[in-house]
Amino acid sequence: MKVVDGLTLSAEHRALLRPGEMLECDGQEAHRLPRYFYEIDSWAHAKETQLTPHFTLSELITVDCREADLLLHSFPHYVPCAVIVLARYLEDFRQRVEAPVCVAVNGGYRSPAHRLGGRPNPHIWAAAANIYRVGDTWLDSQKSIERYARIAESLGPEVYVRPFGFNPGETDDHLHVDLGYLLSTPRGYSELQ
Amino acid sequence: MDEQALHDHIDSLRAASGSAAIGVQIFDYETERTFSHEGDRWFHAASTMKVAVLVALFHAADMGRVRLEDRLHVRNRFRSIVDRSIFRVQRDRDADSAVHRRVGRSMKLIELAEPMIMRSSNLATNLLLEFLTPDYIQSTLKKAKVDGVQVLRGVEDSVAFDHGLNNTVTPSGLVALLRLLREERLFSESARSRMLAILLAQEFNSMIPALLPDSAQVAHKTGEISTCTHDAGLVLLPGRRPYAVAILTEHPPGLDDTQKLVAKVSRLVYEFITA
Repeated sequence: MKVVDGLTLSAEHRALLRPGEMLECDGQEAHRLPRYFYEIDSWAHAKETQLTPHFTLSELITVDCREADLLLHSFPHYVPCAVIVLARYLEDFRQRVEAPVCVAVNGGYRSPAHRLGGRPNPHIWAAAANIYRVGDTWLDSQKSIERYARIAESLGPEVYVRPFGFNPGETDDHLHVDLGYLLSTPRGYSELQ
Repeated sequence: MDEQALHDHIDSLRAASGSAAIGVQIFDYETERTFSHEGDRWFHAASTMKVAVLVALFHAADMGRVRLEDRLHVRNRFRSIVDRSIFRVQRDRDADSAVHRRVGRSMKLIELAEPMIMRSSNLATNLLLEFLTPDYIQSTLKKAKVDGVQVLRGVEDSVAFDHGLNNTVTPSGLVALLRLLREERLFSESARSRMLAILLAQEFNSMIPALLPDSAQVAHKTGEISTCTHDAGLVLLPGRRPYAVAILTEHPPGLDDTQKLVAKVSRLVYEFITA
């Protein structure tokens, strides 16, 4: 996959993706947004790109019409480079559960301009996945969510899962797994402006 | 049959059925005649409000705000308008299961609009309503000068129901809404034609169309809850312009044959119109 420096993108794309910008969360936290992206020139390209044996790129970048118009309707698409790391963790998770793992629409990467709202979260870094189904099990109950949350947490201390519940920061119809505000700078690229 | 006779027949049917109220509104494009029997009485909208969601969706598309081919995440999780508590549409209480099978994935907006009307999908309705927002739907109705249709919330928001916050309609409001499908007031011809096609594909046909001649085509939407049985639509007959009709009934829970009552009133309306 071709890597691009977000700072070299068109003004329209930069306004939506905000590469390298600091993003404030509630005035209490700030996180730097991804600067390096993979360039995806077509939906067919995304479907053909096998990130791991069981996950294609397309599964981790599917969004709905709440995404910004330019990012939804026109190619190329730009996906933060951390998406490969996310795929590796999902592959490990899949091996442990020994069943297909389904990531929801809007549940992988979505841009800072996506209108879903809520606090800035690792989905914007391509470092989070909302899993709504494992094999034949729908993750829409406390029992099923907590069962698979324990398995996800066992992947390592860097893995965070949201607790079951109905309040902000909790989930009740999927398992949210994330790796934090993960930035990936591919070899050969620099953080210098 | 003259107007007074129609009023009398409706009253007789209501009394015989045990229903608490019947509201009927008619507008005939052939004669431009209007008939109203309790036409401004407010009823719980039940699923007739889905026509308002359809109209707002197509208005948003006509305005370039959405594209009907765009996809929406199918998620069965909604928030009450009262306290933001979470509720889900019960699959076993939903007349359509196809949309439930897409949970986690996405469907085109037009693919949600079709089951919302044709099979009265509650899940599709709530997804579209949440996406468009009740405020946008109301503003569309206001722009179209449709009074008598109030859309506040999604289906199965039981907390709102307990607080008396319901979607409501009048027979005249529903007829005004249906007239948008015929008249060049708000929509492109293409939009009107597509909405009409969706309503013509209605799969629940035991009320307005049930006792009409086979040659009648009816673009309509039904609505039923335990205390209300409604149907509203455009009736297209060969050799004449269509008429719009809304038949809304309110009755005690568990009353039998409420759909038959609406079908009988529909037959009376047909005889009145074609007399």
